[in-house]
Amino acid sequence: MKELSFRFIAIVIAGAIGLYGNPAAAQTPAAKPIPRTADGKPDLSGIWQALGVSLTGEAAARPAGANPASAGPARGRGRGPREAPPYKADLLARVKALVADPVHSPSAQCMLLGVPAITMNPMPLQIVQTPKNTVILYEVMRAYRIIPTDGRDHPADLDPTYMGDSVGHWEGDTFVVDVTGFNDKTWLDGAGHFHSEGLHVVERYTLTPQDTIHYEATATDPQVLTKPWKVVDTQLRHPPRADRIMEYECAQNNIDLPHIVTPVASR
Amino acid sequence: MKARFAVSFWVLSGLLASGMPALAHHSFAAEYDSSKPVTHAGVVTRIDWMNPHVYIYIDEKSPDGKIVNWGFEGYPPNTLRRVGLSKSMLKIGDSISVTGWVAKDGTSRFAGREISWPDGRKFFVGPPAK
Repeated sequence: MKELSFRFIAIVIAGAIGLYGNPAAAQTPAAKPIPRTADGKPDLSGIWQALGVSLTGEAAARPAGANPASAGPARGRGRGPREAPPYKADLLARVKALVADPVHSPSAQCMLLGVPAITMNPMPLQIVQTPKNTVILYEVMRAYRIIPTDGRDHPADLDPTYMGDSVGHWEGDTFVVDVTGFNDKTWLDGAGHFHSEGLHVVERYTLTPQDTIHYEATATDPQVLTKPWKVVDTQLRHPPRADRIMEYECAQNNIDLPHIVTPVASR
Repeated sequence: MKARFAVSFWVLSGLLASGMPALAHHSFAAEYDSSKPVTHAGVVTRIDWMNPHVYIYIDEKSPDGKIVNWGFEGYPPNTLRRVGLSKSMLKIGDSISVTGWVAKDGTSRFAGREISWPDGRKFFVGPPAK
């Protein structure tokens, strides 16, 4: 295998320590001054990824001596337990039905994944921050989001879309993105976690002194959830070897579908 | 009591389901059986180095002397590039051995985990089972 850079090793160590979404607890890498743009805002630009072997390598996925069948997926950093979205009781049956139909999951169908699910996908994203727009390019499903930061509000007559309509502003050193105008075709995160067109997501991106992005997303959907649902995650900056995201045309050879036979919940 | 059980069951399922594997395109468990590890060895006949997963096919001689063509899937090409397995490392006609897990539908396919070459090289071509 190729030589491992110090930075790569540091990221693997950070993953192995198992941080639970608390950037202040990061042990490595060492704190650095936060890079800022000319207008004084933290500069989120770069290639980032939350988890996945293409970020950390296999060492984080499979500690020496581990049973390969039981090792979990590689993580960029430890991810603590996450609560499922709090569905209304009469909607749990629908969640169960969707879990039992993995063929029609948004990702198996190569659909745009929605927010916040796309942020937690194990493929890199690239943030391009300019004074009036922050653009996020996602390798997965070749998705993109253009987030105006010129103070505008959402358009009044949004057509529902997979990725929603985003507008952003700064609260101190945190980039806050308000997302509405979703269709109901995506999942929040995890199997069967559907939502309505009434979904409203607020994301918060904070660049940390450890050169990570602390990410929080709060999803509100009174039609299906009893209360808001929050996810917290950490994006790691990609090692220099991956200096740009690449094409991922999911429909190129999507031959799994006829072979999907068993509902996840029945295992 | 029933409602509480249902909620805890779905919280647990949500926790399990939220841990999407690195084969993020589809659920591993919906297609492959992590309780049934396998190893297949044979000659590479076809390499589909495409999204959403690479698929590699090998002719394996079964104990009764018949040739069975097995296909296994791995990470997407971009992921393989980043972990250091390039398309040039694998060629039609190579003899390889591959570990992985059985397909649930009984076809001659499996989820690939580690490729071994006769010279002793090994490489993870796909994720651990989930």
